[in-house]
Amino acid sequence: MKLFSAQNIAYSINENKLFHNLSFEINSGEGLHIKGGNGSGKSTLLRIILGITSPSKGSIQSYETDLKISYLGHKNAIKSYLTPNENLELLFNGVELNHAFEWLNKFGLSHVQDELTASLSFGQQKKLALIRVLAQSSDLLVLDEPFVGLDQATADQLNSFLAQKISQGGGLILTSHITPMIDCEVLDLGVKNA
Amino acid sequence: MPSFIKAESFKLSKKLKSWLGPLLVMVLVLIAFPLSIDISQYDLDKFYFSIIVVSLLMTAFVATEGMFEEDFEDGSLEQEFLKEKDFYKLVISKIFVYVCFIGIPIAFIGALFSFANGVAIGSFGKVFLLLSLSNLLLFNLFAFGNALSINKGAMLGVLSSLPLALPVIILLGRAIRSIQYGDGFVAVTTLMVGIGLIVSAIMPLIISAALKTHID
Repeated sequence: MKLFSAQNIAYSINENKLFHNLSFEINSGEGLHIKGGNGSGKSTLLRIILGITSPSKGSIQSYETDLKISYLGHKNAIKSYLTPNENLELLFNGVELNHAFEWLNKFGLSHVQDELTASLSFGQQKKLALIRVLAQSSDLLVLDEPFVGLDQATADQLNSFLAQKISQGGGLILTSHITPMIDCEVLDLGVKNA
Repeated sequence: MPSFIKAESFKLSKKLKSWLGPLLVMVLVLIAFPLSIDISQYDLDKFYFSIIVVSLLMTAFVATEGMFEEDFEDGSLEQEFLKEKDFYKLVISKIFVYVCFIGIPIAFIGALFSFANGVAIGSFGKVFLLLSLSNLLLFNLFAFGNALSINKGAMLGVLSSLPLALPVIILLGRAIRSIQYGDGFVAVTTLMVGIGLIVSAIMPLIISAALKTHID
């Protein structure tokens, strides 16, 4: 099932073209790995797909009106003045909250669940941000550099979760400098030179 | 909407500085200002209403400072946009919670201190109502300033929202005179309620549009 399609999209900042004439499709049960050098526009492309940023040219068409999307951006969207438990309780309730607590255990954060998030390490905060995405039931996962800051064990857990998500018919779009251990289409934005 | 209000209440209750700071500023100004004029309370009732206007402006500005900045900085606004496609519910809930948690207690403190400044005890209810309505208006206006000034410095927020606050000050002054001289209080209060309802419905739309431009 087709989820999104992009037709000839381009994005420029102050006459500086980040990318142009990009066309691709995103289907359920498939993954898209967007790669490219620093400043090549990977995160911007994700934001365009999500409708947060408007493209300079071209269009994105969504085929599902009630598509549930989980997004992990550069910013973690977690509250540093709350504990991990409070952060999860703020976002979820019911079954999803139980899932979130399960992920908290799986990621080895249960011993810091009552500490302030601000006092956690970068990697621990990243895990908490991932839990926000993984505990949600969604049709499409959109992840911006999800492997940055993760230890190998957590990266493996994430890879297997993503592979499972795709096999269950979910869609996946991710940007990463690290090649994910899952079968994905690749969209290379190249390297931006000064 | 109730889920937004619950979430915003929980967040604000955990940010001690955000809600306690404005209350302390209010108390400090109300104590320090009369003391600096005349410790014998001579003619303080005439000064009280000038003090209260300045106090309300200061505390409303302090209370709404950073209202949307945190959600913008940590990426929560983007997440909200993905779920709701606009920020209207978020903004209206946030302002409601801020008025309940900070605006109404400030109005209560202001009304309470009116006794200490020689205002008749029988006017407590009227003063409290007026200050609450003024805070509703000021919080909406300063929230707009805060939304405009995200990532652009607080000065833009002040410059854009202070001129809008002038009619509120004029209205509050008129209402205060009506308490002092027992003339037309109901009419002025009704006008303030009407303006409060209109501003509370329209301002979140404008703020929502301003926030959208920030995340784009």
